[in-house]
Amino acid sequence: MPIPAKSKGRVLVAMSGGVDSSAAAALLVDQGYEVIGVTMQVWDYSSCNIEEGAGTCCSSSDVDDARSVADLLNIPFYVINCEDEFKEKVIDPFVSDYMAGRTPLPCVNCNTYLKFDRLIEKMQELNCDYLATGHYAQIVHDKNGDAAIVTSTDDWKDQTYFLFTLPKDILNKILFPIGHMNKTDVREYSLKKNLVVARKKDSTGICFVGDKGYANFIRDNYPAAPVKTGNLRLYPSGAVLTQHQGIHNFTYGQRKGLGISSEQPLYVVKVDAESGDVWVGEEKYLFTQKMTIENCHWHKNISPEERLCVKVRYAHKGGEATIEHVEGSIYNVYFSEPQRAITPGQAAVVYDGARLIGGGWIR
Amino acid sequence: MLNGPIYFDYNATSPIHPELQEKIVEWLPFWGNPSSVHAHGRQAKKLVREARQSIADALGVSPLELIFTSGGSEGNNTVICGLLFSAQAEERKELITTTIEHPSVTRAMDFAETQGFKVHRIEVNRQGELDFFHFERVLSEKTLLVSMMLANNETGILLPIKKIATLAKARGALMHTDAVQAIGKININLGDLGVDYATFSGHKFYALKGTGAIYARRGQEFFNYIHGGGQERGRRAGTENVLAIASMGYMAHKLQKMPEHYEHMLELRDFFEAQILQKIPDAEITSQKAKRVPNTSSVILPGVHGESLLMSLDIKGFSVSTGSACSSGSSEPSVVLRNMGLTRDEAQSSLRVSMGWMTTREEVESFIEALVSIVDHLRNIKNRGDSRANPS
Repeated sequence: MPIPAKSKGRVLVAMSGGVDSSAAAALLVDQGYEVIGVTMQVWDYSSCNIEEGAGTCCSSSDVDDARSVADLLNIPFYVINCEDEFKEKVIDPFVSDYMAGRTPLPCVNCNTYLKFDRLIEKMQELNCDYLATGHYAQIVHDKNGDAAIVTSTDDWKDQTYFLFTLPKDILNKILFPIGHMNKTDVREYSLKKNLVVARKKDSTGICFVGDKGYANFIRDNYPAAPVKTGNLRLYPSGAVLTQHQGIHNFTYGQRKGLGISSEQPLYVVKVDAESGDVWVGEEKYLFTQKMTIENCHWHKNISPEERLCVKVRYAHKGGEATIEHVEGSIYNVYFSEPQRAITPGQAAVVYDGARLIGGGWIR
Repeated sequence: MLNGPIYFDYNATSPIHPELQEKIVEWLPFWGNPSSVHAHGRQAKKLVREARQSIADALGVSPLELIFTSGGSEGNNTVICGLLFSAQAEERKELITTTIEHPSVTRAMDFAETQGFKVHRIEVNRQGELDFFHFERVLSEKTLLVSMMLANNETGILLPIKKIATLAKARGALMHTDAVQAIGKININLGDLGVDYATFSGHKFYALKGTGAIYARRGQEFFNYIHGGGQERGRRAGTENVLAIASMGYMAHKLQKMPEHYEHMLELRDFFEAQILQKIPDAEITSQKAKRVPNTSSVILPGVHGESLLMSLDIKGFSVSTGSACSSGSSEPSVVLRNMGLTRDEAQSSLRVSMGWMTTREEVESFIEALVSIVDHLRNIKNRGDSRANPS
């Protein structure tokens, strides 16, 4: 990755207290940057029962971990309070998405509005040249200095899916120090550097939800959220199988916890927010070839003839598709092969080979 | 050129006085337990006794009226919570305090409410004036205790404790003052103030952390909060923090030169405030016209977020604060400033600058220069940010 020659420069690094961002900070120090660490406090963990540091990205003991890494690296470290913003931009939309029958993806909003908006501003305030995070993603520059995001060398950990909303014009200010490494290397490097977090469990799940699950999170923290109850219907016959306790308890492709018994496996194939009906059916009904996406962000122009790769969820390996502009920031996506459980509320992220082209939100 | 980070946060804690650093090394061999009768014990006991005498002299009280504690928070809690169990509390079920107290008073008052007491919280406005009308209205024969701070930690304003104590006494109420932020900044004569109780902390006037003192006027009831051995004449159990107590005694002796220190700090603060108001015309000093300790400025810098200011100043090598150090990390701006009637934005844009005996004019000058350039930089970024389109 080309670095301006004059000096290494000053970097603000977002440190969650996890192994990836800790290693990122350590690498930057190694490489001769002037590094400033920052942790965003996003949620008051005293009010939930998350076991400290147990597999989420930002619990309260993680702030202490980030601080101890910063102390070891001998860099300035600050905690900035983002609780209000996090609630407004991440948790509130997360809850309203579920209540409206969608399956939200809060990590993208956290990246959009906190990591790459608030922290970019913080970076400017502190006269930093770059903002760095511990994402598994890479930025490449072509001959003209044009920057693009490409996938991490670690296919398994690649996190570019969560970065599609990044404005293209800030890419030359962003560093992903561990994007060229795989997780094993990151852990080995952290051990070598004596980072206390080297053996910490990977973060999984949604940081603020905890081990009680999202439905309980909503019940405990948003008691006034409007619960839409309705029928559980069999697709395609429409036969009513039972009543359900709210559409927010369901996601496309879900098989467990439907509250019914059936000889053949049944899956949620549609959540109808208007009527409150949740449709279940055989797995074959989960497959579709077309979807509409909205609020799209693009890093380059696309033409309807281009054969691109589209991921419909983080763990999806991606399917070949063409994309056609409808109007505004709305696009239609046509897959070459039917895709399983395309889920409203999730992101559709578009790649040309390893290069991130952009994406949008599934309707 | 100045070396190392420069300290403008004396209200959070103060550096250990340079002379004291040498004395502490001298005292290190006196590690005995002051309660022991043998030679080792006597050496330690001598340090504690001398410290008690020195502090008593500095405050104009008798040594037996002083009880050593772990610091200001313990002192405030001991006095307030302890009195809830006193004989007077059988009859008198009301307490009076202000809306600008340190959390160790505020929370102790909250606790009193859970024990069936009524608490009146008197407002102090942004000019630093206590609402005397309200105070006199609620002060009555039902008042058990009036607890008001002598100097405020965030704005430096001084409350008219002598006048308040006179009024309280006339109604038979007890009077406590949290004097943690006043000692080392103004001359304090407790006899003259007319309070029944006062609280002090060592580390706010150049002594070690982990020690403080309660003044309890002779003859007034005192409730033992920490039970155990007979230390402090049975009023506060626990082996004495000998080194820290000795350090506080040493600094109390230094308070003899208070008038000089006062003039020194006052001159620097007034210079700082005049320069800032000239160079940042829309800045405002909260309660500037009020009676204040000579070392504290609470500056409103409109359009600049205190958190950003703090980080930027730290990176440039200046240690300051946005409010009470105890509440940093919380998302709400200073409760004290909000209670004084500042808007949320004003409170969020407030910077607390507190100086000390060792602050130099050179330090203040370089701080002014840094602050002015950072405010300018942050305002430019904010203006650009406000005009930037919001990402969807």
